[in-house]
Amino acid sequence: MALRDVTLHVPKGEFCALMGPSGCGKTTLLNLVAGLDVPTSGEVVLAGRSTEHFTDSDWTRLRRDCIGMVFQDFHLIPGLTALENVALPLLLRGEAGDVARTRAAESLDAVGMGQRAQHRPDELSGGEKQRVAIARALVHRPQVILADEPTGNLDSKNGEEIVALLRSLPQQFGQTVMLATHSAAAARHADRVHRMRDGQLE
Amino acid sequence: MFEALRVLATCHVMERPVRTLITVLGIALGTSVAIAIRTANVEVLKSFEESVTEVAGRATLQVSGGDLGLDERVIADIRRHPAVLSATPVLHEGARVATGPNQGKSFVVMGLDLLEAGDLKNFRLRDDGAARSLDRLLSREALFVGARLASDWGLEVGHPLELVVGTQVYRVMIQGVVESGGRVSSVWDRVAVMDIAAAQALFGLVGRLDRIDLVTAPGYAVAQIADKLRRTLPPMVTVSRPSQRNEQIERMLNAFQLNLATLSAVGLLVGFFLVYNTVSFAVVQRRREIGILRALGLSRGGVTALFLSEAALMGLVGGVIGSALGVLLARSVVRLMSRTVSDLYLPVAVGPGDFLDMPTGIWLAGGALGLAVAMLGAIAPSVGASRTAAARALAPGEYEASQTLRTGLLAWIGCGGLVLAAALAIPGPVRGLPLFGYASAFCLLLSLSFLAPALVRGTRAVAGVRWGPARMTGRSAALGRLAAEQVARAPGRNAVTIAALMVGIAIMVGVGIMIQSFRHTVDLWINQTIMADHIIAPTSWLQGEQSGMLTNRLPRSWADRVALLPGVEAVDTYRDVTITINGRPVALVSRDLRLHAERSRYLFVEGDSQVLLPRTVSAKGVVVSEVLASALGVRVGDSLPLMTPAGERRFPVMGIFHDYATDGGKVVMDRELYARIWEDDTVTVIPVYTTPGADAGSVRRRIEETLSREGHLVVVGNAELKQEILAIFDRTFTITYALELIAVVVALLGIVNTLLTAVLERQRELATLRAIGASARQIRGLVLWESAYLGLLGSALGLIGGILLSILLVHVINKQSFGWTILFVLPEGLLVEAVGLALAAALVAGYLPARWAAKQPVVDGLRYE
Repeated sequence: MALRDVTLHVPKGEFCALMGPSGCGKTTLLNLVAGLDVPTSGEVVLAGRSTEHFTDSDWTRLRRDCIGMVFQDFHLIPGLTALENVALPLLLRGEAGDVARTRAAESLDAVGMGQRAQHRPDELSGGEKQRVAIARALVHRPQVILADEPTGNLDSKNGEEIVALLRSLPQQFGQTVMLATHSAAAARHADRVHRMRDGQLE
Repeated sequence: MFEALRVLATCHVMERPVRTLITVLGIALGTSVAIAIRTANVEVLKSFEESVTEVAGRATLQVSGGDLGLDERVIADIRRHPAVLSATPVLHEGARVATGPNQGKSFVVMGLDLLEAGDLKNFRLRDDGAARSLDRLLSREALFVGARLASDWGLEVGHPLELVVGTQVYRVMIQGVVESGGRVSSVWDRVAVMDIAAAQALFGLVGRLDRIDLVTAPGYAVAQIADKLRRTLPPMVTVSRPSQRNEQIERMLNAFQLNLATLSAVGLLVGFFLVYNTVSFAVVQRRREIGILRALGLSRGGVTALFLSEAALMGLVGGVIGSALGVLLARSVVRLMSRTVSDLYLPVAVGPGDFLDMPTGIWLAGGALGLAVAMLGAIAPSVGASRTAAARALAPGEYEASQTLRTGLLAWIGCGGLVLAAALAIPGPVRGLPLFGYASAFCLLLSLSFLAPALVRGTRAVAGVRWGPARMTGRSAALGRLAAEQVARAPGRNAVTIAALMVGIAIMVGVGIMIQSFRHTVDLWINQTIMADHIIAPTSWLQGEQSGMLTNRLPRSWADRVALLPGVEAVDTYRDVTITINGRPVALVSRDLRLHAERSRYLFVEGDSQVLLPRTVSAKGVVVSEVLASALGVRVGDSLPLMTPAGERRFPVMGIFHDYATDGGKVVMDRELYARIWEDDTVTVIPVYTTPGADAGSVRRRIEETLSREGHLVVVGNAELKQEILAIFDRTFTITYALELIAVVVALLGIVNTLLTAVLERQRELATLRAIGASARQIRGLVLWESAYLGLLGSALGLIGGILLSILLVHVINKQSFGWTILFVLPEGLLVEAVGLALAAALVAGYLPARWAAKQPVVDGLRYE
């Protein structure tokens, strides 16, 4: 069992960090929040709504509208440009191409990647890729951003910048950010730090 | 080391059961076509040889009179030759049961000297006590039926039987059963035997023989005896070894197999692509494992051996399954071929159960074929795998990127190959076979395959314009764009799939266009040359049977009687006998050429039928079919030597005409000339022209009434005859269509395989899409879009290939192997059908991987290693 007796309340607009060594259950917790994984017992409550009876398409809709995800190794789609990558969540929602493009460009500007919009992932550095990934997570104005070890594949300087960027989001847009990390330096920016070990909160 | 390979290879093959299964099935299908055709060929030939050998018995030479028969007095001359130990007279007539439950079934009646033939021919009469009674043995109506005929048809000794031979009905009495002298299955079980003198008397052929079988003394060279006999015997008589008939049949089968052979090669080619694909994926997917194994001390050769042994395992299993499928498939091929052979030459002793207990040789051949195809397909990716540096293999990243570099080079090779294919289409045939034509077709398909990677990369550019950011609208557009991107990103893998599909479709379209063009040509030819309103023919004629002197022969007097009937304006007297020119069977046709010039026509390559035919009559010349002209190298103005009863005579060639009725060729001369020289006043069929305005139905009834008292015959109307000819044409190509379908199915397995692997390889990417908001349906749509792209590119290339291939088939391959001129037509319907089928099939093939992709758990895909 990956998680045991975890009860966690994250208020709206908070920047909270989940901290602990690898294998402690941080990723599983985030996946549960995104509906990518289903708990064997217990429930996830989002904005006061129970998700107990959510179907696969309910979760899909939820991810489209309310959740943005950032991963350790970026997970950008290789053949597409930065702009296309960022526009993708909107296109999957069925937004018109020009609308999607404009908003994707805005989102890229917001993370400081406006100049690199036409580059493909293999032409970007690690830090740049992660910025594009954050732009993608923001583009549909989700209420919740889930960031799973976003600095894990970056050097300390780039890592520092990415955390600062994430930190600025609740202040700018009022979003709730959950950051999973094993780096104390990253966790230092959080409003609140939850320490985890062996699937339990400490 | 070997043990390690064995463990790894088995584990991997078992690990991905669906993909392994698809590959094995693909190899099996490919192999089965090749095995079926080879098996069928060998079996028919073998049975025919056995039949010939058995009927010949110990005979070392056969003296034959062809369709016109022999005078039995020559037997005395032959026996005088010191090296001839024995000379057995033979009559050989096709018979059809006239009444009762077996009505319409046919077999061969052989007239033999029953007192001596049994020893020579390796058959015996079943001993039921009275069989040795001379009265019963030699009585005029005594028929002895083969054991198999007796049991299958329920024929009993002591019962009468009515037979139609030629146009007459004969009543015989079954007096005994013939058994083979030893073998389990023998031609003697399927024929009926009479005493030669009784048969001559019964059929009204006293003094005539079809053939004389000779046993020569062992000390003499058979060829020398044959030469000596030829000099003393009448000119039309042929002296040959029994085995020479085998060569004749072999040549016929070769021609029959033109399309089949091409198709069997295609099955294997597509199987090859499939293996290439599977192994390439295995390499991509397990590059990390390769790195680990290399780090653990596995050599480069070891890596190659690992992948090759996996392919070998699949190839072997596929090949063995393919042999089993092939043997099943061979059944229908054999039925088709043996029917042709039996009709034309001899009842061939192939029963449905006879060849299914296949010898181990077939399994070995199938296994070896599958193994060879798998090894050839696997070698390039396996060697590629061994070249991957251990450190790079361990690092995550894109493997395909390194493959894209060679796209341009391959495209140039492809272009060069197309030029080579065009050049190969120019040279003529080699010993009657269009070897360069085949090479050209092969080169064409290979070159187009080389162009596939460039085409795949091209889709990115095309997709960029069509779906580019400016025009990106809506959900499906986003998916389409993503799908095109996917296809373009892995040119290696996708190009191979597209090439496989291309080959399948090119063959389908190419052969389809060829057949349709051919059919169109034949249709035109029929409509322009078959002008008679009715054809009066012996019953055996429509079945295409040729056996003995009595079949396909009507008395001339019938034509004269029909000419007097009201409503009949003119009758022709058409005679068709088979003669031999340079060892090849040729139809010698004679008819009233002046009448034919007025009422009908031959389609001359050059010149007008109305002018050329009367000129041929007055010049006492002949006109020949283009098939024969090109086989013999004869031109208008040459003189053609023919062997006649009066010795060799030369006939001026007055014209060359298109003919699609026989593949051996045709010589046509005027009726009077033929009747005089060949001393043959009979006719084969009587074409009847009715008076304009006369009711066709009542004329036909009148003909039937007048002649029904004379004997068995059929009256075929103009439209029926045309239909029958086209029906025969269509039957000939049925099997071609069936085999084509197999090639396409194998190509589709390739699509399933490619997509499944594409999905496997991109699990992480698909999971990412799910994480950022794609629904399960959208994932399914994405994979289906990819499938559609593959189908579209494959069929586009396949259409080009198919049209080029059909041009080769029509103008080079068919022309050189048969000599027929085929008018090229492009049937749009067929092209649309082929593309539609390919796209529909691609989507069907994509459905399974698409569903599978949508069902994958997202978390697994996102997990870091």
